Amino acid sequence: MAAEHKIAGGHEMAPARVVRLANDIAAQFSVQTDERAAKAIAAHITMFWEPRMTAELVFAVRNPDSGLSPRAEAAARLLATQH
Amino acid sequence: MGLLKEHDFGTPAKPGAPTVTLEIDGAQVCVPDGTSVMRAAATAGIDVPKLCSTDSLEPFGSCRLCLVEVDGVRGTPSSCTLPVAEGMKVTTQSAKLEKLRRGVMELYISDHPLDCLTCAANGDCELQDMAGVVGLREVRYGYAGENHLDLAKDTSNPYFDFDSSKCIVCSRCVRACQEVQGTFALTISGQGFESRVSPSAGESFFDSECVSCGACVQACPTGTLQEKSVVDLGMPTRTVLTTCAYCGVGCSFKAELRGTELVRMVPYKDGGANEGHSCVKGRFAFGYASHPDRVLKPLLRERLTDEFREVEWDEAISFVARRLREIQARYGPGSIGGISSSRTTNEEVYVVQRMIRAAFGNNNVDTCARVCHSPTGFGLKQTFGTSAGTQDFKSVAQADVILLIGANPTDGHPVFASRMKKRLRQGAKLIVADPRRIDLVRSPHVEAAYHLPLRPGTNVALMNAMAHTIVTEGLMNTEFVAERCERVDEWVEFISRPENSAEAAAVITGVPVEDIKAAARLYATGPNSAIYYGLGVTEHSQGSTMVMAMANLAMATGNIGREGVGVNPLRGQNNVQGACDMGSFPHELPGYRHVSDDAVRSIFENLWGVSLLAEPGLRIPNMFDAAVAGSFRGLFVQGEDIAQSDPNTAHVQAALSALDLLVVMDLFINETAKLAHVVLPGTSFLEKDGTFTNAERRINRVRPTMAPKTGKHEWQVICEIAQAMGYEEMRYDSSAQIMDEIAATTPTFAGVSFELLDKVGSVQWPCNPAAPLGTPTMHVDKFVRGKGQLIPTQYVPTTERSTRRFPLLLTTGRILSQYNVGAQTRRTANVAWHHEDVLEIHPQDAEVRGINDGDSVRLASRIGETTLHAKFSDRMPLGIVYTTFHHPVSGANVVTTENSDWATNCPEYKVTAVQVALKTATESARPAHEELPVGS
Repeated sequence: MAAEHKIAGGHEMAPARVVRLANDIAAQFSVQTDERAAKAIAAHITMFWEPRMTAELVFAVRNPDSGLSPRAEAAARLLATQH
Repeated sequence: MGLLKEHDFGTPAKPGAPTVTLEIDGAQVCVPDGTSVMRAAATAGIDVPKLCSTDSLEPFGSCRLCLVEVDGVRGTPSSCTLPVAEGMKVTTQSAKLEKLRRGVMELYISDHPLDCLTCAANGDCELQDMAGVVGLREVRYGYAGENHLDLAKDTSNPYFDFDSSKCIVCSRCVRACQEVQGTFALTISGQGFESRVSPSAGESFFDSECVSCGACVQACPTGTLQEKSVVDLGMPTRTVLTTCAYCGVGCSFKAELRGTELVRMVPYKDGGANEGHSCVKGRFAFGYASHPDRVLKPLLRERLTDEFREVEWDEAISFVARRLREIQARYGPGSIGGISSSRTTNEEVYVVQRMIRAAFGNNNVDTCARVCHSPTGFGLKQTFGTSAGTQDFKSVAQADVILLIGANPTDGHPVFASRMKKRLRQGAKLIVADPRRIDLVRSPHVEAAYHLPLRPGTNVALMNAMAHTIVTEGLMNTEFVAERCERVDEWVEFISRPENSAEAAAVITGVPVEDIKAAARLYATGPNSAIYYGLGVTEHSQGSTMVMAMANLAMATGNIGREGVGVNPLRGQNNVQGACDMGSFPHELPGYRHVSDDAVRSIFENLWGVSLLAEPGLRIPNMFDAAVAGSFRGLFVQGEDIAQSDPNTAHVQAALSALDLLVVMDLFINETAKLAHVVLPGTSFLEKDGTFTNAERRINRVRPTMAPKTGKHEWQVICEIAQAMGYEEMRYDSSAQIMDEIAATTPTFAGVSFELLDKVGSVQWPCNPAAPLGTPTMHVDKFVRGKGQLIPTQYVPTTERSTRRFPLLLTTGRILSQYNVGAQTRRTANVAWHHEDVLEIHPQDAEVRGINDGDSVRLASRIGETTLHAKFSDRMPLGIVYTTFHHPVSGANVVTTENSDWATNCPEYKVTAVQVALKTATESARPAHEELPVGS
């Protein structure tokens, strides 16, 4: 049984930084189809990001001017459905 | 013979099984074909007298002392140059031979100072030994003839003296410099009686091309080349076999001592990584361990504005534990974390990650590999299935083509560079991909077939273009790929696209089309082609992509799974491989197993008696961001100077200053410790008891030469902090017990124990029942992940571009004499070679800016600016400048950016857009960047 942490979400990390990191990941999956890329980006984030960073990204996607690239945004929306 | 004085077989061992049988002094001996009679005799326990031969060098046959008689052979051939033959009958002792040898010794001694009792080499002098062995009782020629006894001593080198009056001109030093080190700094000048050993063109040792590796000192049979420490302290009386604490080569050394005083470090002949060789750092730069700057008592202060006060261990440990728990109570369990060190042992790293996971209750653990080889871990795991290099160092001796990318081994990994140079002198071809013209592009008896001086940040485009050439020209190893790899069609379609052609890459990289194609063809047709790489690959925004692109290239050409090939990271710090192996990354438990794996987590949960988090923790740069944002408040840092080594110094300092508690465990008050609330004194490698794992996955013992000067081992301190935090279960009796736990929980270490290492010397993981003595070459019949994965590697340019405001690109690296942030080497005589970081700049880039060689210049990026002295260098291409980061005052990382590798957040140290300008007289009066004062 895994231990659990309460994730507050929102502004526990630098929001602009999290957006930039997500965009950096998304840029690497440009050779793949939109759907496959979104899943791969979301999987990478789940695999390597600390939950408060993911929460920050999910928080950021609510903002229409988030600065997220289309594929990063699609990945963020996928992650939002998992939270 | 013991460790202090190892048995010298006279000439090197020959490979292969013993097949040739001969008789020496009536004894039968069987040895491999090609073995010398001298070595065969030594194998049988018969030591033929010798002076010019030693088993680290090819035979030379000049001293005429090792003469033997062979049945059916006229004369008295030298046993060192005489190969064995089936049925040969050899006599090593006869009246005739005794007379000849005594005559030779008389000549030597007639021109040698007879100061044996006061000579520093007394007791460790082969000339002295041989005089005894041949029974020399008189010198018929007397001592009044012409001689060399008045020659001046050269004391210019900080670590050893050269006393030419004691030289017997055996050429062992000259040959060691050529054969072992490959620098060719020494020669024999003059002829006949005037023959003398000479550094370079008659210069002093310090001013010559000598790199102070110590091979000449090691080879010298007399007191001619002698360590100053032996001159000062006398001969050592005991030795402890241990491992160097500098780079990732992980050389084995004999620490030779008098009592607990270290006299010298002597490279160990049977060391798996170095086989008797060394560099200036490991051989000589150990004085930092006893430097007066060492912190030996815990230091504590409530606020950063307070002065540190010395306290006892109990107070420091209870303070740390209490404050960490207070922070967690107020800000949550994830508000604290820690960073393990690549300079400490596997056992020390293991307990740090256990403390964080089990006592802190989170996965906020990271290590300094984050800023160097984390992309290696990611890239090789994705493609091959495990996060490590594929070969042992010896493998390079079987390589026909060496592709060296983003590494400068003659400075960063000098002992491995010597192996590489030896193979290149034998005819292997070299391709260097590096913006700078590093030494290996052209140095004595080594010249690269191709130097590809690509623009910083364009590695992936170059690698893709090489793969494109190989695939489109039909050079792919289709049989290997079909049998051993997956995603083949997808990758072939991707790499064949015009955007990945050499023509397209030439525009991006600046490397001529034909050079890219020719290098690709050479690599593809090896037949054995090996890739070696360094931080010039990983420290980019596409570091992980580049690692995968190199793995693709190796798989596409079938250059994986045997000797002489592979993908080999040259790791930076002594135990960076081990720190990663031991679960220092926030997403992985020991053995590179993801924290989300329930089965793996349960192994540790059952053993440690706690529940573990299934989600990754914060990486180092994430910790900084979270600290600035306010959600991360307490940090434990073991043996890493993040305030100097990590990019964007201002951001790092802001993050550290925002913490409620910063605990630093280190040898010295480094830049990070200046921002700490608690400094816990660490132990040097001479005090540690444990293991290091080098870049070839070799697990080597680190044995203590003395008790910890601080009173406690680092693993004991970590355990006591965990206990003080309420995690009572974390207790060990010894570091051997910690390794036993590692073996019990980590399949790749299943067979490792101190007992095994003490018995066999070292092993390379995986070491388990299937491979009880380790695994020198990985992925032999199948990849660790089953099939190798060919992954499309899209070239995505870095966002860091040169602009009108910042028209140059800065890249950073290291230099031979210094190590990392310089905390150790700056506290040794190595500063004689490099007392400050300088800015290497092409003369034309300097000229248009009105800069002269040696001028003080301002180096500015969009992040910050600092001051350095300019050094003209035609090894730099136009538009690119270079500096090192060994000195805090120069603060190279004041200008580096927050750009990072997309997959791992490894910083992009290798590409920073900068401007360089001459400092005015007013500006020169104040440095742009200053070291932090203590208490800032």
